[in-house]
Amino acid sequence: MKDGGYRDWAGLPPELTSSILVRLDAIEILENAQKVCKSWHRVCKDPSMWRKIDMHTGLRCDGCYPRPDCDQCYETLSLSRRCYETMCRHAVDLSQGGLVEIDIWRFCTNSLLNYIADRSSSLRKVGLVMCHKLDGETLVEALAKHPLLEELDISYCSFPEESLKAVGKSCPNLKTLKLKTPEVTYNDDEFAIAIAQGMPGLRHLQLFGNDVMGNEGLEAILDSCLHLEHLDLRQCSGIQFVGDLEKRCYQRIRDLRMPHDSTDD
Amino acid sequence: MSKSEKKIVLKSLDNEAFEVEKAVALQSQTIWVMCEDKCVGNEIPLENVTGQILAKVIDYCKKHAVVDGDGDESSEELKNWDTEFTKNMDQSTLFNMILAANYLNIKSLLNLTCQAVADKTKTIDEFHTFLNIENNFTPEEEAQICQENLWAFDD
Repeated sequence: MKDGGYRDWAGLPPELTSSILVRLDAIEILENAQKVCKSWHRVCKDPSMWRKIDMHTGLRCDGCYPRPDCDQCYETLSLSRRCYETMCRHAVDLSQGGLVEIDIWRFCTNSLLNYIADRSSSLRKVGLVMCHKLDGETLVEALAKHPLLEELDISYCSFPEESLKAVGKSCPNLKTLKLKTPEVTYNDDEFAIAIAQGMPGLRHLQLFGNDVMGNEGLEAILDSCLHLEHLDLRQCSGIQFVGDLEKRCYQRIRDLRMPHDSTDD
Repeated sequence: MSKSEKKIVLKSLDNEAFEVEKAVALQSQTIWVMCEDKCVGNEIPLENVTGQILAKVIDYCKKHAVVDGDGDESSEELKNWDTEFTKNMDQSTLFNMILAANYLNIKSLLNLTCQAVADKTKTIDEFHTFLNIENNFTPEEEAQICQENLWAFDD
């Protein structure tokens, strides 16, 4: 093996090509990587490439992240939502049932979520971020088919409290819940209480930006989620740290982000 | 493995010898297995790696070796070092680093180098130019791929 000069990347062993391409977003794989040459096309068709599907490249605007929507974001959508949905179904087909992780931004609909849930044998990690077209009933039904689910990100979505509770009941292994909701309003502490009651096994909980949650919600979570290690309360400005609440948080939670902590990451 | 044998010599394909701390070299599962098997002496021949690449691999392993518990640079610092390490590698070096990391079975280095390629190349043009890959589809195959990927013509 000589250094320098031309390298035949197309001749890299398939498992190494796969190790590179698996790091790309599903959109980049389907739109670009699989169209590069024959050997890459073969690699991209292998179900092992599709255990994890990420579909958010170009679906968010870095400039305004983590705010959910702005005009710029919509401009970055180079294809229509229906195209992304078709593409996602195609990726799910390629996984041949072996899908474990999926992360979709913006375009997931009820029918797409059902499609994913019905064609995957055991999802462990699901992200449905800013998917306003999803309803709670579909979410509950779809996730009930995946009782081994460990991580759920439904940031910037709006689901009724009872859906959160039902998801928790059907997915007892759920350890991580991300619920960043800067522009969606839950009415009061009810959703936090629903989380506390439905998901007592949580280890990681991100409530970033839930400024309607007050002390009652936080206390319900502290009382019920006894395994909680990480709690992100940044921008949750409705909490009043009076009495021993702050001390309790610090005692109970190993990695605590307080309402006024930096939001840089 | 005796504790007195703290150093080990790695010999590249082109016969370049590198003396390194065992703790550094043992990040390679391949070398670890060779040492465990005691089928080699203190000198380990690595028939698939050139001296130029092996030197870089050793740099990486030195940085990532935990020596006597005080090798703990902050993870942030280590991450920055990793980024710098691959930033200016040309495609040929990256290619050989990936093969070397795979052969030596150093998982974190394989991840790092594969990620570096994935970060540098995203578009079809970048794959063709940076990675020098030729489009070898026949017109019929191209037509078929278009057929399979009809979402682009959806609504």
